[in-house]
Amino acid sequence: MLSTCFLSFASRNSQLTGSLTLVSRHGEIQRPKPGTGVKLHFKDSKGNDIKTVEVNEGDDILSIAHEHDIDLEGACEGSVACSTCHVILPPEYYDLLPEPEDDENDMLDMAFGLTDTSRLGCQVKITKELDNMAVTLPAATRNMFVDGEGTSSH
Amino acid sequence: MRRSLVQSGPPMKLAVIGGGPSALYVTSRLLSLLKNEPNIRVHVYDRLWSPYGLVRYGVAPDHPEVKNCTHKFDETAKDPRFRFFGNIEVVPTPPFGSIPRLPSTRLGHAVQLPVSSILPYYTHLLLSTGCTLPTLHPTILPSALCIPALSLVHWYTSHPSNPPTPPLHQKPHVSIIGAGNVSLDVARILLTPPSLLSGYDLPRHVLEVLNRSTVKHVSILARRGPLEAAFTAKELREMMNIPGTSMKHIPSDLLAPPPDVKVTRQQSRILQLLQKGSKEKYGTTEKTWSVDFFRSPTQLSSAAGETKGDLPLTLTLSHTALDPTTHASVPTGITSQLHTSLVVTSLGFQADPSSTPFYDPQLRRFRTLPGGRVVENQDGRVIKNVYGSGWAAGGAKGVLASTMMDAYNVAETMVEDLVASDATDSVASPSSYIGVQNGGVERGEEDSEKRDILEIMNPSASLYSLPPEIASALPERKVVEFKDWKKVDGEEVKRGQESGKERERMGWEEVKDFLGLKPAWK
Ligand SMILES: Cc1cc2nc3c(=O)[nH]c(=O)nc-3n(C[C@H](O)[C@H](O)[C@H](O)COP(=O)(O)OP(=O)(O)OC[C@H]3O[C@@H](n4cnc5c(N)ncnc54)[C@H](O)[C@@H]3O)c2cc1C
Ligand code: FES
Repeated sequence: MLSTCFLSFASRNSQLTGSLTLVSRHGEIQRPKPGTGVKLHFKDSKGNDIKTVEVNEGDDILSIAHEHDIDLEGACEGSVACSTCHVILPPEYYDLLPEPEDDENDMLDMAFGLTDTSRLGCQVKITKELDNMAVTLPAATRNMFVDGEGTSSH
Repeated sequence: MRRSLVQSGPPMKLAVIGGGPSALYVTSRLLSLLKNEPNIRVHVYDRLWSPYGLVRYGVAPDHPEVKNCTHKFDETAKDPRFRFFGNIEVVPTPPFGSIPRLPSTRLGHAVQLPVSSILPYYTHLLLSTGCTLPTLHPTILPSALCIPALSLVHWYTSHPSNPPTPPLHQKPHVSIIGAGNVSLDVARILLTPPSLLSGYDLPRHVLEVLNRSTVKHVSILARRGPLEAAFTAKELREMMNIPGTSMKHIPSDLLAPPPDVKVTRQQSRILQLLQKGSKEKYGTTEKTWSVDFFRSPTQLSSAAGETKGDLPLTLTLSHTALDPTTHASVPTGITSQLHTSLVVTSLGFQADPSSTPFYDPQLRRFRTLPGGRVVENQDGRVIKNVYGSGWAAGGAKGVLASTMMDAYNVAETMVEDLVASDATDSVASPSSYIGVQNGGVERGEEDSEKRDILEIMNPSASLYSLPPEIASALPERKVVEFKDWKKVDGEEVKRGQESGKERERMGWEEVKDFLGLKPAWK
């Protein structure tokens, strides 16, 4: 028999991604004093709110997600070598950001569910202008191999 | 009727075959999903003495950032419910595959663990064995001067299979058949000035050979055109930027997409890179490379008798075109000859039938349903609590990011099934997944096909016992556990620092000495 806590997880059934706590690496960045930071709204692929957080200018989205236990992966730890930190931004905020560099675009090429306003979370540094931006995590795709959508790059 | 607690055994005691990124991402997700469940065990078996699969023995040495994913795996390994058993090769046993082993793929020192020995000791099984064999060219077979890219990769990563040192002396011209990222990895390692590689995780003996290498030109042969090339922009850009190396100009008609074809973002970025060419101008550098599109090698002959000096090999190239409907490459009837010194085949990877349990010869890997549930064969039963993930389940495609997403999906399926079986245990026992559906857990469409269930695992396996082969190999010190690996890891980094590099890899002999292990053979 499974423990109660486990069963309460189970009742959420297949909507697992986006709400799980992974190994968190707190302490990489500082949290601002409540009421003084830039607000970011993290959302899952369906647009449901995950969490609204207050952050300092200069922090990147990947570190922010880790600080707040949001399930955004950073396999290469911000080295622009994996695309697992892919996020989708609203067009009006996307346009406020400097263009992605070539290396970021190269990795975005391999990101799953790429959109016109996709960025790598590790490369987006927060500025005041981005206050109240929604950060959407892409759909965790089920069965990508079966659908034949995995990039063949070997 | 409700099963009693005693009968029902632990919720999950999982044996994982393979310790590559797929296995470790599944494990990481499982253990975090089941964070509050103490009665879970995950035992990862790898035939290599170290964990991480292709991340250690595949990813190119000049891509150290890619290997950062191991930090997450190391966190997972700290979970007391996790255990790693390195140097253990799981061998298929009838009826779960029984093809005789190919001598070329055997790792002499690994302890053999038959699948049949695993089943009684575990409630669940995950197959993450990867695609460990190179796909060979149908007519151009391996020889002293024609080597699979995987052999080269194994050489520059000091893989325990101990591949021969590639002959790079007096080899001015290398031809690589296939145009994927592994081709570019190999080309980059052959063309980059060794002085720029010396700080990376590249074994000393490899650097010595690269220092003596006389490779001047690498020709990458692609069966189809630039739109179909499998390499990615990142790797192509790296090729363009190698100091002292330049790319031969590609005729511009080849780089113009047909008018009716809508190119994707990825394709147009590749075209742009190819158009722009290398940083250094062709003709100004000592070393060069080329991508020869629409060239399909059909034959390799060595110039017996006549002395061709440094170019003793001749590849016959069939000039091809793209079939507009099937997008396959078709011969145009024109052929040409390419004189070369060494041929490398880089045509992908496949599962090894002799080390892959449940191997389905028709599919050439084991067969899974969406979500990773393993089935006997095309119309066969679902093998209860047996799952597959990663390259072993889906074929050798995709990068770590896709391997990770697939792994998370499989972990989530496993947990859903666990929850479903827990629910149905209290209601009725399932006779098929339809039964599970009725048990109240919503399931994806993919499972609606009704299949019978084959039960081979032991639902009341003890949390603490180990297969007899492992129980005896442990005290004999034939097993490398995670803590042993971390000792080696630390020592490798230390030895590397002494010579100003990322790490100095150890081979099996050194590892045995360092850890005080006994040889696993008599
Ligand atoms: C040469 C090369 C370079 C690559 N470079 C990159 C890169 O730079 N970036 C990137 O994102 N992706 C890269 N990839 C892709 C990446 O390596 C794969 O996506 C990933 O490794 C697949 O993971 P896996 O766990 O399924 O397979 P593997 O990594 O192959 O792991 C399978 C493991 O199973 C073990 N095993 C097999 N059979 C048995 C058995 N019978 N008993 C016990 N153990 C067994 C093997 O020893 C191995 O450790 C590269 C791939 C290759 C081949
Ligand atoms: S963390 Fe790898 S690209 Fe951002």
